[in-house]
Amino acid sequence: MSLPIIQTEGLRAYPPRMSDFTKSFWDGLTSGYFRTTCCDDCNRPSFPPKPFCPHCWSNKVSWIELTGRGMLYSVTTVHAGPAVFSGDLPYKVGIVDLEEGIRIATKVLDDTALDKPVELVVLSYEDGPLFAARSHLS
Amino acid sequence: MGENRVSILGGAALPVGKLQGLSDAGTQHLEHEVLAKLVVEALEDAGLEKEDVGSMIFTLPRPYTQQKYFATFMANYMRLPCDGLVMEVMGNGMTPALTFQVAVDQVRLGRTKVALALGINFETGTPSHEHMMSSMRATGDVDFHVPFGYTPISWYAMDAVRYIHEHNSSREDLAMVAVKNRRHAMFNPIAQYRKPMTLEDVLSQRPIVEPLGLFEVPGRGDGAVCLVVAEEDIAKSTGRPYVNIRGEGFFHEGAHQISEIPNDMISFQAAQRAGKKAFTDAGISASDLDLAEVYAPCTIVEVLVAEALGLCPRGQGAQQAASGETALGGRIPICTSGGLLSRGHPAYVTALYSYFELLEQLRGRGGKRQVDQAELALACTELGNYNAAMVHILEAVA
Repeated sequence: MSLPIIQTEGLRAYPPRMSDFTKSFWDGLTSGYFRTTCCDDCNRPSFPPKPFCPHCWSNKVSWIELTGRGMLYSVTTVHAGPAVFSGDLPYKVGIVDLEEGIRIATKVLDDTALDKPVELVVLSYEDGPLFAARSHLS
Repeated sequence: MGENRVSILGGAALPVGKLQGLSDAGTQHLEHEVLAKLVVEALEDAGLEKEDVGSMIFTLPRPYTQQKYFATFMANYMRLPCDGLVMEVMGNGMTPALTFQVAVDQVRLGRTKVALALGINFETGTPSHEHMMSSMRATGDVDFHVPFGYTPISWYAMDAVRYIHEHNSSREDLAMVAVKNRRHAMFNPIAQYRKPMTLEDVLSQRPIVEPLGLFEVPGRGDGAVCLVVAEEDIAKSTGRPYVNIRGEGFFHEGAHQISEIPNDMISFQAAQRAGKKAFTDAGISASDLDLAEVYAPCTIVEVLVAEALGLCPRGQGAQQAASGETALGGRIPICTSGGLLSRGHPAYVTALYSYFELLEQLRGRGGKRQVDQAELALACTELGNYNAAMVHILEAVA
């Protein structure tokens, strides 16, 4: 299931680095897929994706696709930020619990209330993607 | 605790304020001059001599401190040969607590009879938005959190939003912590912010990380502290009042800012676990404490850590600050120094100020903020979003 892709002007303020390993995540995101790793031994997913399982320390992991659906656990609006984000102020960041049982931190695009459904979207900047959450009417 | 008790004998602390930068005359405060003066004061306070000291454990200075390899520079500046360790310690907000712990452990291991836990945090010459370019990388995953613009205190703000949601609380309730701690700071000569402050004053400030405004988050400050720790036999031999370390506890929950497996983020599990260990180690319970100094950069954090340590019932930490239970004269005074919001928060030495406050209180030197017959006190420090906590229980020995 692919995520909505929102064309976004400009460059990412603080672009993430990519390894040969995490490139799969960011390439997938560019195409609208939110993927992470899941352990072949204990079957537990992890986020951010890792080349090993942090739960049982197995080296056998596989990529899985997540729905990008979840609930907003918390959120704040930042009014005083680091220098590279000063042009974006004020902006919202939050914590989302995805339905696969993973908690992530991400940008929040609207005024969703806590414990209400959200969906992840891809913000397609000129230099690459980020993800963000917005309210989702199911 | 084992048979080898470790004591805190003396200390000295710089009033927290803004010291870094050039004066009109083109001069400036230099870190080593400021700290060396405190070392001499602290030793006088302890009743010891230079030759007694065998280890110096420093907090890592901020990157804005020009002199690098500060610990060994200071060993030279003060001409102090040492058998025990001379080193700098780093652990983000827990830096000064870990520094203190290493000094205590040097004494406990028998590497020296007397150790100094000391440090200086000068940072106010660098503006906040530049400072945050560094601190944002310490409180989040550089590739999966930082690109969204989290700031260190944005995580605490999300604790506040969650707490208000779950406990039907409000920004106003939480803000009473700032008002209470300002009242404490008014009686603390080394506090950075001492002017009277009302709830209306707090609520009318500009927002920083919603729902928290300027007076609900820490200001920035420069500070320096030196503490003298030693074997209890040394402490006894001075004939002066001192403080024993009666219990210790540490716990890291194995998470950084958030747990990837959803948990109850505002239960501050690390503080619960570290607190339990420290209470067991000391053989006391939370209700035996006379006061506590907790590391709480924002109003909400004091509420959550007080609840996690069992100083207040879950969901009632804010009301108990408002009703005076955690104020001077109340059931369990918290942050009699004024805390991070009013005493000040020179981050890499903040916890040393906490131990210094408890040292003063437990020796009956708290002046107008003295807690009556203070005998048992708790200090709690943390890193991240309380992902790790370190608790010390201190006891007065007259």
